[in-house]
Amino acid sequence: MTETTAVAVRRPTMLLSGVSKSYAGVAALTDVSLEVLPGEVHALLGENGAGKSTLMGVASGTIEPDGGVLTVDGEQHLSLTPAAATRCGIAIVHQHPAVLPDLTVAENLRLALPADVLTSGGRSEVDGMRAVLDDIDLRVHLEERVDHLSVAQKHLLELAKAFAVRPRMLILDEPTAPLGPDSVDLLFDRVRALAETGTAVIYITHRLAEVRMLAQRVTVLRDGRLRGSTLVDDVTDDELLAMIVGRQLDATFPPKPSPDTFGDTVLDVAALSGDGFSDVSLTGRRGEIIGISGVVGNGQSDLLRALAGLGSFDGDVSVSGKRRSQRQLRKVSGYMPADRHHDGLMMTLSVRENAALNGLERMTWGPFLSRSRELELVGRELTELDVRAPSMEAVVAALSGGNQQKVVLARTLLARPAILLADEPTQGVDVGARAEIYRILREVADEGIPVVVASSDAKELEGLCDRVLVMSRGHVVADLTGDEVTEERMIRAAVASTKHSRQTTAVRRDANRPALRRFLAGDYAPVAILALVMVGLGAYVYSQNSLYLSAFNITSIMMLVAALGFIAVGQNVALLTGGIDLSVGPLAGFLVVVASFFVNDGAAVTTMLLGFGLMIGAAVATGLVNGTLIRLGNFTPVAATLTTYIALQGFSFLLRDAPEGVISADVTGFVMRKVGPVPIAFVALVVVVAAMEWALRRSSWGLRIRAVGSHEDSARKLGVGVGRTVVGGYVITSLFTFLGSLVLLAQLGIGDPAQGVSYTLSSITAVVLGGTSLLGGRGTFVGTLLGAGLIVQLLNATTFLGLSQTWQYLFQGGLIVVAAILYSRVRGSHSPA
Amino acid sequence: MASSAPAPAAERSAPRGVRPGPRVSVSRGLVTITVATVALFVASALFASTSVSQGALSGMLPFAAVLAIAALGQTLVIQQGGIDLSVPGAISLVVVIVTHEPKGDDGKLLGAVLLALGVAVVAGLLNGFLVGRLLLNPIVATLGTNALMFAGVLGISGGSPRRTTDRLASIAGGESLGVPNAVFLALLVLVVTSVVVKLTPAGRRFEAVGANPAAAWAAGLRVRTFKGAGYLGAQLHYWVAGCVLAGIVAQPTAFQGNSYLLPSVAAVVLGGTSLLGGRGNLLATAVAALFLSQLEQFVLALGVSFAVRTLVEAAALAVGVLLYSVDVRSLAGRLVRRRHVPATT
Repeated sequence: MTETTAVAVRRPTMLLSGVSKSYAGVAALTDVSLEVLPGEVHALLGENGAGKSTLMGVASGTIEPDGGVLTVDGEQHLSLTPAAATRCGIAIVHQHPAVLPDLTVAENLRLALPADVLTSGGRSEVDGMRAVLDDIDLRVHLEERVDHLSVAQKHLLELAKAFAVRPRMLILDEPTAPLGPDSVDLLFDRVRALAETGTAVIYITHRLAEVRMLAQRVTVLRDGRLRGSTLVDDVTDDELLAMIVGRQLDATFPPKPSPDTFGDTVLDVAALSGDGFSDVSLTGRRGEIIGISGVVGNGQSDLLRALAGLGSFDGDVSVSGKRRSQRQLRKVSGYMPADRHHDGLMMTLSVRENAALNGLERMTWGPFLSRSRELELVGRELTELDVRAPSMEAVVAALSGGNQQKVVLARTLLARPAILLADEPTQGVDVGARAEIYRILREVADEGIPVVVASSDAKELEGLCDRVLVMSRGHVVADLTGDEVTEERMIRAAVASTKHSRQTTAVRRDANRPALRRFLAGDYAPVAILALVMVGLGAYVYSQNSLYLSAFNITSIMMLVAALGFIAVGQNVALLTGGIDLSVGPLAGFLVVVASFFVNDGAAVTTMLLGFGLMIGAAVATGLVNGTLIRLGNFTPVAATLTTYIALQGFSFLLRDAPEGVISADVTGFVMRKVGPVPIAFVALVVVVAAMEWALRRSSWGLRIRAVGSHEDSARKLGVGVGRTVVGGYVITSLFTFLGSLVLLAQLGIGDPAQGVSYTLSSITAVVLGGTSLLGGRGTFVGTLLGAGLIVQLLNATTFLGLSQTWQYLFQGGLIVVAAILYSRVRGSHSPA
Repeated sequence: MASSAPAPAAERSAPRGVRPGPRVSVSRGLVTITVATVALFVASALFASTSVSQGALSGMLPFAAVLAIAALGQTLVIQQGGIDLSVPGAISLVVVIVTHEPKGDDGKLLGAVLLALGVAVVAGLLNGFLVGRLLLNPIVATLGTNALMFAGVLGISGGSPRRTTDRLASIAGGESLGVPNAVFLALLVLVVTSVVVKLTPAGRRFEAVGANPAAAWAAGLRVRTFKGAGYLGAQLHYWVAGCVLAGIVAQPTAFQGNSYLLPSVAAVVLGGTSLLGGRGNLLATAVAALFLSQLEQFVLALGVSFAVRTLVEAAALAVGVLLYSVDVRSLAGRLVRRRHVPATT
């Protein structure tokens, strides 16, 4: 190949030499070197856990190596930061796309890409964005919310962002996993085109076919060590396979029984499809252990969850000769999840409570739990599994990984399941306990309970299983029995697979939804709904009582809206970050109390200014305390702001134990000043809301604050300072509360320590009515303004209609519940747990 | 299960099996709040002896009992990771039902109490449905139901207070063996709730769901139902609390429940139950209610203002959260440096 000679003399884009990294004493990388040349596609191969992602983390600056040197363009570094890597022109596309679900496609692009990329060549920003998406043939509307994109589309968006910056080096981590064949072909074209312009591409994959199609050179890692680096054309598939497999595993396995000894079929799965896998058939006989092999994330876990009744499916599952529904499967299946911490154990509960959980029916005495029965049954099971724990009352979190896994096993077996499903049963388990778990699984099978084990460790399945299905992109690509159950056969089946993901037909399902549907699911639907309700309500009340639209009433409504509106705008900021600020009400009251010492008739201007300065200072301090408690103190937002809530109330009463300190009439008059019937405070609020709305949509602050509320991790990956943004958000919340307190001060006219508190709940109500999500990330200031307006209008209307206070509460309560239900329905799906 | 397979010799050296462990385990929250409460009473006796006089105690204890009952209800919600802001509406509604419906007639008291129970069940089911089934944010959902219940309060009472019936006053407001009856009622509620939560299969599953909903779901439990049930249980507690409160206050107002929202949350937090959910410390919550009530008496007797009392409460709450919910190691880790754990390929 003529190109290779040319390549050899070029200076490498990146040179990693002798890189090592270990976590808690376990080596993830040992003395790995890698040379990446400009213009080449360099494939990185290896099994799960071989160290590929860690190495790329080092290269892209997210992981700091323990040793080794990185040379980028001839310049040596001991480590990089994500920002430094970006400056060097290194872009990485993660397996899990760092996109922000609550932001639109356009906003995601704007946040991730420098402005000059989009507007280069004198084109408009919108044209720039279209060009970026067209480049990767992603046909979605720019104003579509990323949440509504399919998984494949999110990946394409992530790829589009990486391609758009024309990186000097591009790292692609299994980019084809979620893509259909058309997108894969297109991606390959783009990658080749990019390489021709001199970009170095590192391509992580498990598939030999992709290596052959795309790469010039290939490097293989195994167990965190370099196994070899060679030109693709100089190596055969078998040679590559030999470099990948052959890992040492120190665990001992129980002997496999003869296939003749297997009994009746207990588990019979026919043509099962579900989210993440399709058309899977398998049978499990008494005594049999069935392995599910494949690269992590190819549908193995999804299959097991479906068999456990945790996910919906099409097709037939029979257990013990009866066809089972999803709900029935939850009863008859014993399921051991892969993620012990998240899905497996109640870490704060004791060993006994965890182990007994699924067998409680058998441990009763009348309607009560029998402690002696519980100790007996749990104790026996723990003894049989040889669990090592200080006592049954020990917190399960204090146990080693192996013993924790045995507790999960004990819990599962105490439920006396008909089948046992184990997802990565030895992940994070030490060698000694591994052998124990293998032994236990074999014993369970011997007792007549078919065991299905999913594992990314082919060596483990080779030693343990009687039969292994290999999955790739949700399909079964090999069914191995007897002597065929070898690591080599499994890995060959996985890496040789050319299957593509199933959702290809669904990819562009809702790419171009009608504008109306997009609007209804968008942020401004609540605004329209609220406006309609307000106009309707106003018209009705006016028809009943013409004084409703009198100048006096309009003024008084607008004044009340002004006070609530400013505070609600502040609350909206807190909610957009994904938090909540309960302290706004007491803060508003406290600030008025502070003002009542300085802003009096006859006080010098300097004194008044000092008073306003102190109010601002107190507001900023409150925001800082709230934000700091939440970010650094690990307080929940409720706990943190409840604390400041109570404290601020205390401070108010400390300063004044009764209403005192009349506010200067000049100041009151100024705040209350009107243009026609419209108070200037209200005008100011409208201007502020418009400015905030613009900032939220257009400014980088607005993008950042919504990014943090939408998806904290992705925001961090995109370089958003999460802590600063959140703390800043709470300070802004308090500053708006200060503005609200200015209006309140004019309305009250006196320093009353008991006032203001009710603004906490009304501000939350206003924000929720306005359609801001309490989960953070989405909402509008216009909606908040209308929400505040509707609350005030409603209270006002009841007096005009001659309705009692009962109706005020009824409307308020009804509105908030109906609005919450309506908005949550429109926004759709939630997970069951 | 046979255990004949060979295992490494080292693993065999220790005797097999796991000891049962102590029968009664005491949570960190219970120890902390009990020590604090004892210290508070000692301080009260030393510095403000009037606050521990017979009269002061028999004045304080009934209200501590009401707070304890309400806070036990709040515990059931918070241990599921929720929060119930409908405490004021719920308690106020029960109070006006049992005072206004009988119109001073003892004979109609039982009917009114049962009517209040019916209302409490409906309110609990509504909250449970909104949060457990429709998955609304608990703050929003209970804020809404709170307003709805206040609509009921005003609809029944018109906002005016009414004298409580004599029988209710003698039952809930009376004394037996020199101890206010309300205390016995609170203890009864504590025992019943503890037995249901700690000693029945359903209660054990309820705690498991609170400790880790995802794991409970994976273990086959009906997570949403249990979450919703917490709100129902809470309303039943507010029902008892409202009945007792109506008995100990001679002429309860229509907004009698307002002063129980923040203290109920504070008592739960001080009792060591995490606002993120987890195990509910029922006994510790009850002790914390006593602590908060006596704290009020103490600072009152010291002659310091309402303000200081409130500040002390805020400080107690902050310290409480710091003690229980801050993971010191993760805080240290955060301050030192952010490190990223690699995703496996």
